[in-house]
Amino acid sequence: MDYILEGFREALKLLTTFDREIYGIISLSLMVSTTATVVAALICIPIGIHLGIKNFRGKRAFSRILYTFMSIPSVIVGLMVAIILSRKGPLGRFDLLYTPKAMVIAQTLLVIPLILGLTYSLSKNRGKEIENVGITLGGNKKDIIILIIKELRLDLMVNVVTAFSRAISEVGAVMIVGGNIKYRTRVITTTISMMKSMGDYPTAIALGLVLLVISFVINSIIYSYSGED
Amino acid sequence: MEIRVKNLKRYYSDNLVLDIDNLTMEKGKIIGVIGPNGSGKSTLLNIIAGLDKGYLGTVEYDKKPIDKETYRDMTIVFQKPYLFRRKVYENIEYPLKIRGVDRNIIGERVEKIIERFEIEDLKDNKAHLLSGGESQKVSLARALVFKPKLLLLDEPTSNIDPESIKIMEREIVRFNKETGSTIIIVTHNMEQSRRLCDDIIYLEEGKVGC
Ligand SMILES: Nc1ncnc2c1ncn2[C@@H]1O[C@H](COP(=O)(O)OP(=O)(O)OP(=O)(O)O)[C@@H](O)[C@H]1O
Ligand SMILES: [Mg+2]
Repeated sequence: MDYILEGFREALKLLTTFDREIYGIISLSLMVSTTATVVAALICIPIGIHLGIKNFRGKRAFSRILYTFMSIPSVIVGLMVAIILSRKGPLGRFDLLYTPKAMVIAQTLLVIPLILGLTYSLSKNRGKEIENVGITLGGNKKDIIILIIKELRLDLMVNVVTAFSRAISEVGAVMIVGGNIKYRTRVITTTISMMKSMGDYPTAIALGLVLLVISFVINSIIYSYSGED
Repeated sequence: MEIRVKNLKRYYSDNLVLDIDNLTMEKGKIIGVIGPNGSGKSTLLNIIAGLDKGYLGTVEYDKKPIDKETYRDMTIVFQKPYLFRRKVYENIEYPLKIRGVDRNIIGERVEKIIERFEIEDLKDNKAHLLSGGESQKVSLARALVFKPKLLLLDEPTSNIDPESIKIMEREIVRFNKETGSTIIIVTHNMEQSRRLCDDIIYLEEGKVGC
């Protein structure tokens, strides 16, 4: 029991003394996952809304495939990106493997199906009614996509945050393409799994606490927004 | 705008819900559509509004098939209106905004219509929290604000108190007189159709009766 308590005490000390390394790790985590989520959202929200309200051949099959990709294991995405970015891979000459950029790419690819799928399903269920009103008031295609984004903004935000939570808490993809290199590509989750195997519980606990706090803050923000109405 | 419907058939699977050989709705008139529940009134309106494309036959707008311009020149107020999650004022200005109308003109037009509908006190309310009757008023105001050449109304006064019905009928008639636009109005209220309409179409089981 003692060493657990000891671990917590040490963890709080690390956080309150603003340990440089710890805070570097936290900020890299936030940076990588935020960038990936924002890029994926900018791409997927308009496309997902468009596909959701559009009638096309094979829509059912498309839905099923998309929903399958939503839960793709992060190690598979990591592996794919690592192969593509490795020296002999198609994008090898950019020398991106084991850099934060590679981690952003991997996490972007990881959350793209998630945001696309959630947006698509939202728009499929609720977009048609909004589209009809938009059309009858004289809106063109672009007006209607903007209108639907504005109308569904709260749900869309919840979706984006869900994607961010998945990104910041995954370990497989960033571990494979980032390599957990000290001061360079080490993020919260890769550090936790490493520290645990090294028996450094205080650091692992400290970072675990930070991860919890991050998701708590995010969820509070969502709740305060959705309580707006 | 003149509407001409020819050989119109609308099936839902094997079920023929609308079957009209020939029907012309003249420009500038107020036309009432009456008939029992399920007789195809909303179906007809949605087809004319260009929202339901799963029909057989033709619908012509001033002797032409529907195109982008036609969509911009007409509108429908639904039986259950959908208002945007923003203020009442912002709902009403929406059709003008997407048409790129000048800011000052938007302000004037929206204020004027709010005044005519006597909904000044709702102006800054969130539209999606309004009562059913208030929503119907706002959605009619939002439809009139851009002066469509064809206005389709699906039971616009079904949830409305007598005082507000007076206001809405007054504004519908005034709009017709001022703009010469064609109005097609579905109603269950015979009195109302007599009060407002130049012509009345009676629908029964998808067919035009007399
Ligand atoms: N999406 C649909 N799928 C199958 N049947 C439908 C659909 N929409 C309408 N119908 C059927 O078409 C018929 C006409 O419906 P419609 O809504 O046009 O009637 P209405 O005259 O507007 O009735 P009300 O006075 O109740 O509004 C009804 O029998 C209805 O059940
Ligand atoms: Mg109806």
